Order: sequence, then structure tokens, then C-alpha cells
Amino acid sequence: MAQYTDIVQIIAPAEAVYGGRVDITVRIKNLYSSAIGIMVGGALEYGVSPWPGINFPDDIENVDAGATHSFSGWFTMPNKRVTIHAYSYYYAGGSWYFDDEMTKTVDLVTAPESEFGSIEIISYARR
Amino acid sequence: MNGVYLPSQFGTIFIPLATVQVKPGDSLRITCRYSHYGAAESVLLYAAIGNSGWAGFDEVLHASRTVSVPEDTSWDYHEDYVDITITSALSPGLYDLYAKIDGGIPRVISPTLHDVVEMQEEVPDSEFGEISITSYAKV
Repeated sequence: MAQYTDIVQIIAPAEAVYGGRVDITVRIKNLYSSAIGIMVGGALEYGVSPWPGINFPDDIENVDAGATHSFSGWFTMPNKRVTIHAYSYYYAGGSWYFDDEMTKTVDLVTAPESEFGSIEIISYARR
Repeated sequence: MNGVYLPSQFGTIFIPLATVQVKPGDSLRITCRYSHYGAAESVLLYAAIGNSGWAGFDEVLHASRTVSVPEDTSWDYHEDYVDITITSALSPGLYDLYAKIDGGIPRVISPTLHDVVEMQEEVPDSEFGEISITSYAKV
């Protein structure tokens, strides 16, 4: 594995709230001696099947030899701890080939205890 | 005159508060805005009419209503109301208002609005005093 591409890093928050948007960045390096097409993919593991995907609005990039490209993506936090699986693919001979994988875990933040800050009367009217 | 002081581009300005006139049988809707943070829960929104004094707030009429507060992952404002039914327990005159969340040990209490509710003199029962003929003509 990781013949031509290397997932260097997954940048993601350590924890997120249920239903919140989680933004991630996957950094992939071109290990080949010249520019190649690199594609990113991703899936979420948290006990459902099939694994839901991760949205990468721009998932393909031509990357120069030795360069690292950052792919931005996002997903909606499920109601439990989730493991991000990021995948890299390279383009050759008219096809995409799977090349590398990296994982990272995002914990679920439980809602804090309910608190009230202030209250004020904003209107009073006879009915 | 009663009112509240609010900051403005001209410094602090005084906003007079109108007095609402009520009589027995009316309902007074008190709308409140409150800030909340954290898990969803149901709480009691409570409001009272009475007299504020050195010893506290002497409540004459009050009402409460259960409201559902959603989960807020950051401080957020919500609005809800409670209706107080006006009875003859209020004698004619001016009264104060306040609201709070949860009864016995309140979680949060509003500032008191002074002299904003005016109980009107009771309208007497229908009575007739006298009658006289004021004209007579052929029709």
C-alpha cells in the first residue's frame, strides 16, 4: 500500500456535538516522481452498514511530484463516537487505484447541563 | 413615571413603560425572553402581579406554565408567555410584575416592572334610578 500516494494527516476535531457539522481536512502526498491525479474518499464507521460517506466537494487534484495537497470535506456528527476512514487513490491507465488509508476518531460531546442566564419581561397585554 | 433605562448612541435613555388597565375576568399575557445553554428540558415559567417592597415581592395573583426548552449548544434566547387570570383579589390601584423560571428556588428572576398593571374600579351592577316621559307625538 501507499505505492504512489501517502495520507500524511487527517485534521479533524477530537469531539463534536450530535447533529453538528464536522469539517475535516485530509492531506495526501504524491510519492511518485512526476505529477499524478489523486482522489480522496472517506467513510464513517460507527456501527451502521454500509458506512456512510464523507462529503468532499473537490475530491480530485493533479498533484506535483513530492507535493502534498489538502482535501477539505465534512460530515454530520452521528449520535455516537465515529471513526473516520480516509482513502487515497491514484489515476493510471484510465482507472483509479486504491492506494492508502488512514483513520481518526471523533468523540461525541454530550450536551452540557441546562443553564439559564437571564430572563426579562418583554411585553404584557390584556387579552 | 415608570420605565427602564437603556443604552443608546446618545447615552442612556429612559423608556417609559405603559400601564395596562385590567378588570376581573381579563387575562394578562406576560411574554418573557430568557437565555439558555445546555441540554433540553421542561421548566416552569412563572409570573406574578403584586407589590414590590423592601421585604420582597408581595404576590397577589400568579400563574405558571410548563415550557419546553430545546438543547442549546451555545447561549441562545427564547421567548414564552404565561397568562394570569385577573380576579377581584386585586383591589383598584397600580401593581408590579415579575417573572422567573421554576418556582420554589428560581433558576433565574426577571427585573421587576413597577406600576405597570392598573386594576380599574369595579363597574357596579346594573341599576335604574328613575324614568320620565321626555316627549309624546303622533306617529
